[in-house]
Amino acid sequence: MEELGRVYQLIVPMFGRDMTFNLDVIVMTWLVIAVLLLFGYLASRRRSRLPGPLQAVGELFVSQLYGLTEDALDEEMVKTYGPLICALFMFLLLSNWFGIIPHLGEPTKDLNTPLSLGIMGFFIAHYAGIKAKGLKAYLKQYFEPMFFMMPLNVIGELAKVVSISFRLFGNIMGGSIIILVVSYLTYSVILPPFLNAFFGLFVGTIQAFVFTMLTVVYISVQVK
Amino acid sequence: MGLDVQTWVQVSAFAGGGIAMGFGAIGAAIGEGLTAAQANAAISRSPKMAGDIFKGMLVGQAIAESASIFALVIAMILLFTKFSGTSYVTVAVVMAAGLSMGLGAIGSGVGSGFPAGAACIGMSRQPAMSGRLMTNMLIGSAVCQTPAIFALVTSFILLFTDFTARPVSPTWAAILGAGFASGFGAIGSGLGGGLVAETSCYGVSRQPLMVTPVTNVMLLGQAVTQTTAIYGLLVSFILMFKTFPGSGALAPASALLAAGLCMGIGAIGPGVGEGFTARSAVDAIARNGEATADLTRTMLVGQAVSESTGIYSLVIALVLIFVV
Repeated sequence: MEELGRVYQLIVPMFGRDMTFNLDVIVMTWLVIAVLLLFGYLASRRRSRLPGPLQAVGELFVSQLYGLTEDALDEEMVKTYGPLICALFMFLLLSNWFGIIPHLGEPTKDLNTPLSLGIMGFFIAHYAGIKAKGLKAYLKQYFEPMFFMMPLNVIGELAKVVSISFRLFGNIMGGSIIILVVSYLTYSVILPPFLNAFFGLFVGTIQAFVFTMLTVVYISVQVK
Repeated sequence: MGLDVQTWVQVSAFAGGGIAMGFGAIGAAIGEGLTAAQANAAISRSPKMAGDIFKGMLVGQAIAESASIFALVIAMILLFTKFSGTSYVTVAVVMAAGLSMGLGAIGSGVGSGFPAGAACIGMSRQPAMSGRLMTNMLIGSAVCQTPAIFALVTSFILLFTDFTARPVSPTWAAILGAGFASGFGAIGSGLGGGLVAETSCYGVSRQPLMVTPVTNVMLLGQAVTQTTAIYGLLVSFILMFKTFPGSGALAPASALLAAGLCMGIGAIGPGVGEGFTARSAVDAIARNGEATADLTRTMLVGQAVSESTGIYSLVIALVLIFVV
């Protein structure tokens, strides 16, 4: 039970400050990236009109996510943002599924991963907004409906980052804590596989999708 | 008879267990009753589908019940675990664990009853869509459970983390505040998420061609509806994991308790309100699919505005924790 909330950290003193590295998360993130790269290589290695199984899965991902992006953004923007959205969804999906394999943990279980992805989405959305509308119109929207609403509008924008990243973090970390505690209480008999299927596969898929969709929609709200 | 720490911890654990299961029983019972009522109406409308509707009702009720089962687990742990009584903080911890799970189960229990009932009605209206309706209902009610799961996580962290080394005086209030924040915070979002899922089940049965956008926008709307529950979780995490300097004065302690109450109660309204917004957006998409993009954008902007009161609560709670 002591594993609850324990993080393996590497603390490096640098310039009078301590730099903290969460080793588990870094290793798991690179593993996820390696698996995705391998999948990408294998899926596109022998491309043909009659797709093999891996190519079919890859095409499914790309066509579905491009379709979703196109629904929310214009056709031209799909070329810019489609690859980002695809990569984001596949990374999150694999990250959330990673915990069902013994001895591996979800990178999204650590707040650093969802928070950095959320901040990335935030900057991309606002950059897209400035590019599409111009700086003046972009700034003007903060002073609506009244000029004194500006601080609250800014807080509202920042709260989006908090909510999008804590939603993913809370669900994935919550699932892993529940699995840990229930396995401890039941001596790992019967229940844990079902909990893994529910929190790992099902909730993981839904949350990966929700995070991706919200990123797309935040971009589209800024652009339009 | 002397009342030492051990006795107080035991008293508080029993009271917490009672609160957890007592409050936890409210929501699921109402939700399951609603489901059964709708199932009856559905069977009277198309008796030939009775078998499928009955199955759908049972599955939906089972999901609605899970919030109560979470509360049962917490109550059992509180009743049968021997807590070591070395510090008065433990008294607050066991009470807060019960409060968080008990209050947190109300919203999700009622909420997941809605989609299950709507799915039963939908099956009677559009028998060919039974399978898709079932899937849609399962996704919708599972997402509805998220606020209850947040409350469960808070309770587990409270029960299985060692707080005894902290100074008693402000910590007891911080712990109780954490319980209130995630407990109350889950009510509105659970209820609101259920409203969204309900209309999406109606929508699927009304316009089977629009299944994909209806399910997608339902997920989006539910996710945004949960935002205030996430703020509640955030505040309770800060209250649990920040170490507050010990002080005998009552003011710092009451500020921490107030922060938890402020975020928890403040999250109820926006959760329900955003649920209403997303509910009508999903309904409109099922009626007029061509406007999906505009409807989604309007829904998100409307939800952001109705969420602003939740953000005010968050700001005040953070001020109470960090400034006062």
